[in-house]
Amino acid sequence: MPKLTIDGKSIEVAKGTTVLEAAAKLGVYIPRYCYHPSLSISGNCRMCLVEVEKAPKLLTACSTEAAEGMVVRTDSEKVKAARRDVLEYLLINHPLDCPICDQAGECGLQDYYMEYSLKKSRFAAADKVTRQKRRALGPHLVLDNERCILCTRCVRFCSEVTKTSELEVMERADHSFIDLKEGKALDNDYSMNIADLCPVGAWTSRDFRFKQRVWFLKKTPTVCLGCATGCLAEAQHNENVIYRVMPRPNAETNTWLCDRGRLAYKAVTAGDRLAKGFIKNGLIDLEPALREAATRIDEAKGAVAVLGSPWLSIEDNAALAALAIEAVKTENFCFDFPAEQGIKDGILINKDAAPNTAGVKLVKAARGGISLEELSRRLLAGQIKVVITEARAAGFIKEALKAAAPRLITFATNRGEIPQGAYATLPYASYFETPGTFVNYQGLKRRTEPAVTPPEGVKPLWGLVNKLAAYSGDSLHLNSSEDALKGVKL
Amino acid sequence: MAFKLTEDFKARAEKLCARYPRRDAALIPVLLELQKEAGYVAEEAMDELAKFLALPYARVKAVVTFYTMFNREPAGKYHLQVCRNISCHMAGAPGLLARLRAKLGIGEGETTKDGLFTLSAVECLGACGAAPVMQVNEDYFENLNGEKLDALLEDIKHGRLRAGGR
Amino acid sequence: MENILLKDNVAGLEGYFACGGYRPLKKALALKPADVIEEVKKSGLRGRGGAGFPTGLKWSFIPKDAPGPRYLVCNADEGEPGTFKDRELLLRNPHALIEGMAIAAYAIGAAHGYIYIRGEFAAEARLLEKAIAEARTKGFIGKNILGSGFDFELFMHSGAGAYICGEETALLESLEGFKGQPRLKPPFPAVKGLFASPTVINNVETLAAVPAIIEKGGEWYASIGTPKSTGTKLFCVSGPVNKPGVYELPLGVTFRDLLEKSCGGMQEGKKIKAVIPGGSSVPVLTAEEAWAVKLDYESLATAGSMLGSGGVIVIDESQCMVKLLQVLARFYHHESCGQCTPCREGCGWIEKILNRFEEGKASVKDIDLLYSVADGMQGRTICPLADAMAMPVMSFVKKFRSEFEAHAAGRCCAPEAGGGH
Repeated sequence: MPKLTIDGKSIEVAKGTTVLEAAAKLGVYIPRYCYHPSLSISGNCRMCLVEVEKAPKLLTACSTEAAEGMVVRTDSEKVKAARRDVLEYLLINHPLDCPICDQAGECGLQDYYMEYSLKKSRFAAADKVTRQKRRALGPHLVLDNERCILCTRCVRFCSEVTKTSELEVMERADHSFIDLKEGKALDNDYSMNIADLCPVGAWTSRDFRFKQRVWFLKKTPTVCLGCATGCLAEAQHNENVIYRVMPRPNAETNTWLCDRGRLAYKAVTAGDRLAKGFIKNGLIDLEPALREAATRIDEAKGAVAVLGSPWLSIEDNAALAALAIEAVKTENFCFDFPAEQGIKDGILINKDAAPNTAGVKLVKAARGGISLEELSRRLLAGQIKVVITEARAAGFIKEALKAAAPRLITFATNRGEIPQGAYATLPYASYFETPGTFVNYQGLKRRTEPAVTPPEGVKPLWGLVNKLAAYSGDSLHLNSSEDALKGVKL
Repeated sequence: MAFKLTEDFKARAEKLCARYPRRDAALIPVLLELQKEAGYVAEEAMDELAKFLALPYARVKAVVTFYTMFNREPAGKYHLQVCRNISCHMAGAPGLLARLRAKLGIGEGETTKDGLFTLSAVECLGACGAAPVMQVNEDYFENLNGEKLDALLEDIKHGRLRAGGR
Repeated sequence: MENILLKDNVAGLEGYFACGGYRPLKKALALKPADVIEEVKKSGLRGRGGAGFPTGLKWSFIPKDAPGPRYLVCNADEGEPGTFKDRELLLRNPHALIEGMAIAAYAIGAAHGYIYIRGEFAAEARLLEKAIAEARTKGFIGKNILGSGFDFELFMHSGAGAYICGEETALLESLEGFKGQPRLKPPFPAVKGLFASPTVINNVETLAAVPAIIEKGGEWYASIGTPKSTGTKLFCVSGPVNKPGVYELPLGVTFRDLLEKSCGGMQEGKKIKAVIPGGSSVPVLTAEEAWAVKLDYESLATAGSMLGSGGVIVIDESQCMVKLLQVLARFYHHESCGQCTPCREGCGWIEKILNRFEEGKASVKDIDLLYSVADGMQGRTICPLADAMAMPVMSFVKKFRSEFEAHAAGRCCAPEAGGGH
């Protein structure tokens, strides 16, 4: 356990800790471009140079291991001069096209220039090396080689994380540049992380660029519901519109996000977003839709089934259980979704495509219910006339539904989710709009917070359940997501 | 045109690979071997080589573009490489280069229309004691001057290239 | 004094035998590896590639008990402008290198060795390949060398045109089939080098000196030269001298002796203006400084320069220092691997400033700019290429400022030097 001092403050760190990491523990920020905690150390940008007593030269904090008795200065004149010089070198061949660059507000060059330099350039503008300007490289990214500072984070990401190794630095010296095979797209499953990783405006996201200035964005913690991995994420939004979702790096689950999960937020404002109910093939207002659904449920009393969903939060599943047990009063309810879980690509994407298989188990444990096979059997035996479930969960009993053809009442956020032959569909608030608790494949409980408000009139699913019960003359008293949890232990 | 590595080439490449505990270490010698055969390293060749060595294409491309000896397009039959570094510069390399440009009617990095000559200015060839120096394909020609250069060009044109100007 | 390295008629195996060749290998194999290292330490032999690090000490850094393979690599990537000794040595005495490598490999416990030779030396590589084959047939390379039980395989590996591969970790990257970009140190090659295994990398000239040291003893070698700069050194002299070439002389020889006795003085009518004493990367000396200097590690350091690779570039009065610096800057710019910011951006910047001087577009302010850009690169990069650019720039500007001022004022100091203005 070496003990060292950084800017006069002492700290004891684990063997193998770098000076940069030790400084972070002390709250001392050391500027860096090429360093990234989840990538190998490259040491090329030279921005993190610090002064170490007895070392003849400045050392890179990112690659220097803390040693017993080490005395480090990050604020000496020598260090400040090195930072100023490195920034000057970085900027000489940079196009300085900030007014038209969408990285503004989160640009490592702008930020460090303000913080550590403010020096006037001594470089003759006409001498700049020109490189290729922006071009789309793959479905999600744009590369502007001229803005690139060759920190190689993107290269290392593709070789170390996705192991697809599409990118490399070609040529050498100041005419070197990042490239991939001509005509090839950068379309691995995690490509959008590159836009996050890039400390400057070289890699930008096609989805996000020029949509919103970053300083207007507000951040709300959320969980990616793209699969059972349940990556921690952050919705970034302004004026009730989500503009992008970024990973919230954490030791337990994820540093990155997959592209599909990251873009799942698009459903919130997609053209097929449901704000009204849907009966057969026609849109109708929510209240008449609820009344219609309730009528059909009442009609079929004794032959109604409720199926939970691993795509729904624990709260909404618990509300469905309450509906079955306390309002419909049926034994035909199921919260049983066997699924094989585990990371399937060695990175983040789970074998289980549903986000809450483990969470639904808690509902089953508290409230019981029948198995999926038993539900299918009862359907095929003609014992069930109405099925209430979430749109995607209907897929679990697809064959039985097709054969038995009961009235299917589903909950959906988007029209595209509605299964064929659904009788009524009720719109509910997505988990970007309402809080929800999920349990990922590691058994970790994660909560989404509302980042935006749902379309007018759209309610959380537990609210719809409450209303459905009310239309049938039952009172479930579900007035909040906490109420919905009634009977289920988190 | 699809590029294929010949079986004969693959056999030679395997021999090079066997010199290293990891076969990808042979990338540069194998590329040199390939260039010896084809005169340059074509885009499709990089692709084939990447597959042969089980490497990402980008790694092969990065290596080809990093090292100056790899020609990325067909070079002339004779590649005239004039050293322009300090000792050769002092000994008259700029004059040699100018003379070659004028005589061949091409600039540095260009190839004559008949495909006979490619002209390059290169950095130190490591023969400074015999400056100025020019490398023609694999052979060094040393202590050059205008007349020697003219004679050398004539020899080459008439197929009388003799190696070793020492 | 008799030459140790550059000898006549030893290029072939017969000639090499006639001079006692491969006797030292036999002697070494009878010693304990640690004793071989001890002998080399005693000799005071220092790395001849440019850095001058004590060779025996370098060998002793190989961890004694590390499992797995160890490697010996010979750096024959000679590319430092003004340096052409290794090529000469390879052509004239290839077996000294091969024997030196076999002895070094035995000392450090390496079963495999590579000679990394610059790609342009194709003819030299073929000759060396032939010499290795000869040595193999005689049992000096291969399995169970001379019945000792020691195995050593030696391979050639050609580079493909990159000055930076002369830097030892860039060389290792290149040898592994990557771009030649220097590695972060630590870990040092002795611990984690070629294929992540303990590795010693030595220059051709260093390794070629080893057989003589084993044959005649470390003390004998240490008696040559000066107390701290022992042995002989190959000096490469280029520029307008009567007999340019490679000369083997004891370290500590005066520049005057090298020039006048070995090289036959300056060409008719030429007068020295400056001397770069150790390859293009080291600080330049004025004529006055050069005439007074001895050529060894310490004397040159005291004179503000370095022994480097032993490439002595003699510059005469007719040359324009601004033009020559531009030539060097173009070179370093061309050869920067592009990894570290200061070097990648700084080398190009310096060349562009110098282009302005040559085009007559520079001002006096640009002289300080030049100096400051170079100063900002120094000591801030992974490898010394940035320093190799900065040292000539700073010393040229310091010692020949008036020439830069003349350019800034629109005059060239040496019109006949062929500057483009």
